[in-house]
Amino acid sequence: MVVDHETPSLENGQTDKEVEENANVLQFMDSMDAYLTLIHSLSSTLRRGWLELASARHSMGASRVNTVLLDHTSHPAATSLLVTQDEGKVDSGKPHFTLCKWASSSNENSLLGEKQSSQDKLHPQLRHRGSTELCEEKTSSENKASREVDDPVQKERSKSLSMFGTLVSPKLRAAQLSFEAALETLVEIANMRSEMLCAFDQVNMKLEGRKDEK
Amino acid sequence: MIADEDTVVGFLMAGVGNVDLRRKTNYLIVDSKTTVKQIEDTFKEFTTREDIAVVLISQYLELYEMVANMIRFLVDSYSKPVPAILEIPSKDHPYDPAHDSVLSRVKYLFSAESVASGRR
Repeated sequence: MVVDHETPSLENGQTDKEVEENANVLQFMDSMDAYLTLIHSLSSTLRRGWLELASARHSMGASRVNTVLLDHTSHPAATSLLVTQDEGKVDSGKPHFTLCKWASSSNENSLLGEKQSSQDKLHPQLRHRGSTELCEEKTSSENKASREVDDPVQKERSKSLSMFGTLVSPKLRAAQLSFEAALETLVEIANMRSEMLCAFDQVNMKLEGRKDEK
Repeated sequence: MIADEDTVVGFLMAGVGNVDLRRKTNYLIVDSKTTVKQIEDTFKEFTTREDIAVVLISQYLELYEMVANMIRFLVDSYSKPVPAILEIPSKDHPYDPAHDSVLSRVKYLFSAESVASGRR
């Protein structure tokens, strides 16, 4: 019987390669699953927002909730996106989106507060590490920061609704919150989309490489 | 945003509306008077503006099957990472994963042709 001494090292090489390929495929499948889950969550949030908007229109009257009232004078968006390249990644072409809610030139505190909360949302596992005390300290400092942030944020929210009049239906405020939640989900979807496409490119490259070898 | 009235109003309440000095907005409300050319031009404009990072577009612009097909072609052939094109559910039609441009791009991996070509 012929013993092939070359086989073990070749097998190791193939195993490493297979491990890497499997990891890429798993990452792709995970990101696709997360993408679909987020889309369904977005659908549900939007449905709630549309319903609340319809209720507000019903209680306030169609003439008070329509696009004719939109502010067409020059103004910047109060909510914006920060686009960065992913740090520490080999593929530096992958963008990362961060939502900056209710941030204006006179409202830098809210920018920091909301960015922190959005980053915490994107990396929730950080909050759960460490002792309970540490978590409580963080929670109380976050509460203090959020209270400081809330007033300017509430002002911006009210300013955004002011195009519909001074007194607006609670349903309209609820609709505003629903669409804000939808925005947060959309940012997560945008990040998941770029992860999925990056993983897809990796898997596709391997497949193309295999075809070339054959 | 390129979407129906309620969706645009909702997101404007969330603070994303921007109007520049030339009175150009970062949104287009699609209604019965909107033409195919307007939607196409707006899409092209939004995808080339440097101050836009994400373009939201209703997956199914109900009133115009023709518009949906035109936009489908534009969205499917778009491949830059920024601005990201996100198809959102529309008010009158549930989200359909079969028509999502991102999923359409990656479903190639699951198609019979890709599996067969890998085996040749």
